[in-house]
Amino acid sequence: MKIKINDQDIATKPGETIFQVCLRSGIKIPTLCGMKGIHEGVCRICVVECGGRLMTSCNTKVSEGMEIVTESEKISQARRINLELLWADHAGKCVTCKKNQRCELQNLATEQKIENFHFIPRKEEMTDHENLDLLKDNRSRVVVDEGNSCVSRTTELCVECRRCVNICPIKEFSFNNRAGDVVVGTPYEKPLDCIFCGQCVKNCPTGALTDKNDLDKIIGELDDLKKMAIALVDPAVLESVALEQPEIDSVGKLIGVLEALGFEKVFDLGFGMESALEKMAQAIKKSGKGNLMLSHCPSFNLLVDKYYPQFKDNILDVANPDELMAQAIKNGYAKQHKINPQDIVVISISSCVAKKKDRSGNLGYVLTVRELGRLIRQKNLKLAEIKSTGFGKDFAVKNESVKNMAHAGGAAEMLAKKTGGEYIAADGVPQIKNILRDLDKGRIRTKIIECMVCPGGCVNGGGQSRKF
Amino acid sequence: MKKEIKIITKNWGRINPNQIEEYIAAGGYRALRKFVAEMSPQSVLEEIKTSGLCGRGGAGFPTGRKLECVASEKSKEKYFICNLDESEPGTYKDRSIVDNDPHMLLEGIIIGALAVGARKAFIYINGNYQKEIEILERAVEQAQEKDFIGENILGSKYGLEMELFAGAGAYICGEETALINSIEGNRGEPKARPPYPTQCGLFGQPTAINNAETITNIPWIIENGGKAYAKIGSKKSPGTKLFIVNGAVENPDVFEAPLGIKLVDLIGKYAGGIQAGKDFWFAQIGGSSGRLAMEKDLKLKLEYDCEAKIPLGSGAVLVVDKTADIHELLLSWTGFFRRESCGKCVPCREGTFRLWEIAKRLQDGEVSERDVAAIQDILWTLNNTTFCPLGKFAATAFSDALDNFRDEIYKISK
Repeated sequence: MKIKINDQDIATKPGETIFQVCLRSGIKIPTLCGMKGIHEGVCRICVVECGGRLMTSCNTKVSEGMEIVTESEKISQARRINLELLWADHAGKCVTCKKNQRCELQNLATEQKIENFHFIPRKEEMTDHENLDLLKDNRSRVVVDEGNSCVSRTTELCVECRRCVNICPIKEFSFNNRAGDVVVGTPYEKPLDCIFCGQCVKNCPTGALTDKNDLDKIIGELDDLKKMAIALVDPAVLESVALEQPEIDSVGKLIGVLEALGFEKVFDLGFGMESALEKMAQAIKKSGKGNLMLSHCPSFNLLVDKYYPQFKDNILDVANPDELMAQAIKNGYAKQHKINPQDIVVISISSCVAKKKDRSGNLGYVLTVRELGRLIRQKNLKLAEIKSTGFGKDFAVKNESVKNMAHAGGAAEMLAKKTGGEYIAADGVPQIKNILRDLDKGRIRTKIIECMVCPGGCVNGGGQSRKF
Repeated sequence: MKKEIKIITKNWGRINPNQIEEYIAAGGYRALRKFVAEMSPQSVLEEIKTSGLCGRGGAGFPTGRKLECVASEKSKEKYFICNLDESEPGTYKDRSIVDNDPHMLLEGIIIGALAVGARKAFIYINGNYQKEIEILERAVEQAQEKDFIGENILGSKYGLEMELFAGAGAYICGEETALINSIEGNRGEPKARPPYPTQCGLFGQPTAINNAETITNIPWIIENGGKAYAKIGSKKSPGTKLFIVNGAVENPDVFEAPLGIKLVDLIGKYAGGIQAGKDFWFAQIGGSSGRLAMEKDLKLKLEYDCEAKIPLGSGAVLVVDKTADIHELLLSWTGFFRRESCGKCVPCREGTFRLWEIAKRLQDGEVSERDVAAIQDILWTLNNTTFCPLGKFAATAFSDALDNFRDEIYKISK
């Protein structure tokens, strides 16, 4: 099938959307609401012109003989007005926003060169009395949810793109109210209480959903000379840290950056993974039961807790690698080096959001890749000048293959080899649901079950950074 | 005046809507008997196609073609939905049908559903129509007792289940895909088309959705033949239509008139003319989403025609006289869409809100230069970029008013 885009002949396959064809042919079309695989056509920014009519490129399939224009006056007018309308519904506190410079709305406004905003913002906190008067009862209600330790949510910055509504594997979010009063929220606006996989935070285009952490406090602890800050680097982090800061292209560089941030020691989490695997292998051998579920995905543990309490006993009672390693640092390492454990802050650099929940006293903080990027930007580090170094001498990793644990199915495979049993691995909530349903009906009988909530495992975790 | 042709209203006021026997005595369910005894589903579709019947909900899509699309789909499960989610301001034709003659509607649904091969029919009724829900519940019960609905209708191989589904009274749920979402238990929001409901509708199955008034025409067509129906009314869209005339007329009511009637005749001959002592200013055709007909447009024919200057919409005619306040009207129109937009797409969610906000300022005389520019932008984006037609509707009346009464609207502004 052949179509014309900007007077250029392009061969297409049936079933492709205009957006996909353009992406493939190197024609850039701005979009806000769409993400990989899910295009609802809600933001109306990706419009293109076809036969004089505007249509959204993201959810219009190509048909024979289409003649498409991707840049015209009409198109830029549509983009400008819709962006202005959207901007007025957004608080626009860019300077203090956690997502500053990493915000898709901000980028779009810059890209489309929007200078004048015609509409009175209705979510901004107004100080000007004249403006306050104009707003009268038009202010929309803002919902701020800080009730958990993983995700902070404010509808003040939400642009109702529905990405979180679509990506959430347990459908925690939905639209509340109608028309201009629409807010994305939980049922009855109850505080967020989900499995905290963090995929919504990863995909949120603005600062409406962000990682929860007190970065100022962390910076304080890093700068405090009395305290010893130790970083644990999850190997999965390397998947996306370059997307956050392109200069960080290797483990060595990352370690150098972390040291420049004020970490006294940087250790490889591989050690924690080894000990977690070891402990899980022992537990499996000891238990002798079948259908044992691995416990290293904290999100999965929450899922079982909340929706499948009948399987609570199947989960192995082994803490996750970060916790185990923090324990080892606070006990063995501190004693060995004669440091007061209270003066050690263990900070895990991780691709997991759920690890922030229910930490024991040993693990101080969990930083996601995005937060690490923010920390680097806040500290204004000159990354080009930082030299690569290596991990600290203690906690050496014996076998590099242990890092496969970050991939879906990795841990189960290694454990199966160690204990000599068979295994089933699932990633993504739909797969997990299938397995748990089969398990409930007695259709599955195996030794080890590994479930990772994030599709693909930790390498695609909710704490990773994302390509813009 | 010629003898009036009555199709939908022939029994109105003459039979008790709660008694199926009275409807049968007036010749009811003859069409269904005829269909069961001597017709095939194909011949029903042929008759409807010959009749030229088109959708009475507003869009005017040929009903025969729609039903044929569904009938030609090779799917075990098919659905037939009667759209009774009438929520256009000033429109109460479907409600009047149920109030006066619910069984004619039921007969139409049964024939339509069987013709497309559906075994389940839904009546999606506006949740605010409490009295009508009761009437329909009773009517369905009575029809079941008489063997018009259920397994083996009138002893034939045909079977049909009917379910009454009350929505929550949202305007957007009159849109086909939003209606489907609503029945499926989702939020009432439109879905992207294609796929069209005729291919992939309710629960992913081919679904025929028709307005209640459209369906009510079917029994007459089956009884008297499509050719007879095609002779009534205008050539482009045959048949009669229920017109609802409101506002500054002597006799506001629902009238059945042949399509193609001139606006001036509708107001003068049916609704008793403009109220004494008042002057005609303009008329809004088709509810809040309708366009404005000025004095020069009075001779226009009211019919379904995609090239018509003034689309007929739901058939509501609001006659406005010169004592009316245009600012109040603007506020009422924009307020309606500001409430009824589903909030899914940006231009409609934000645009309708902003338009209402500016309409409020217009009324208070506080409108600024910035607003004047903003109005143009919003109307343009509503017209060109919204997800579903609701955005376009929201802009229609406002733009028409701006075109015609620009000075009056901005007169009191600083």
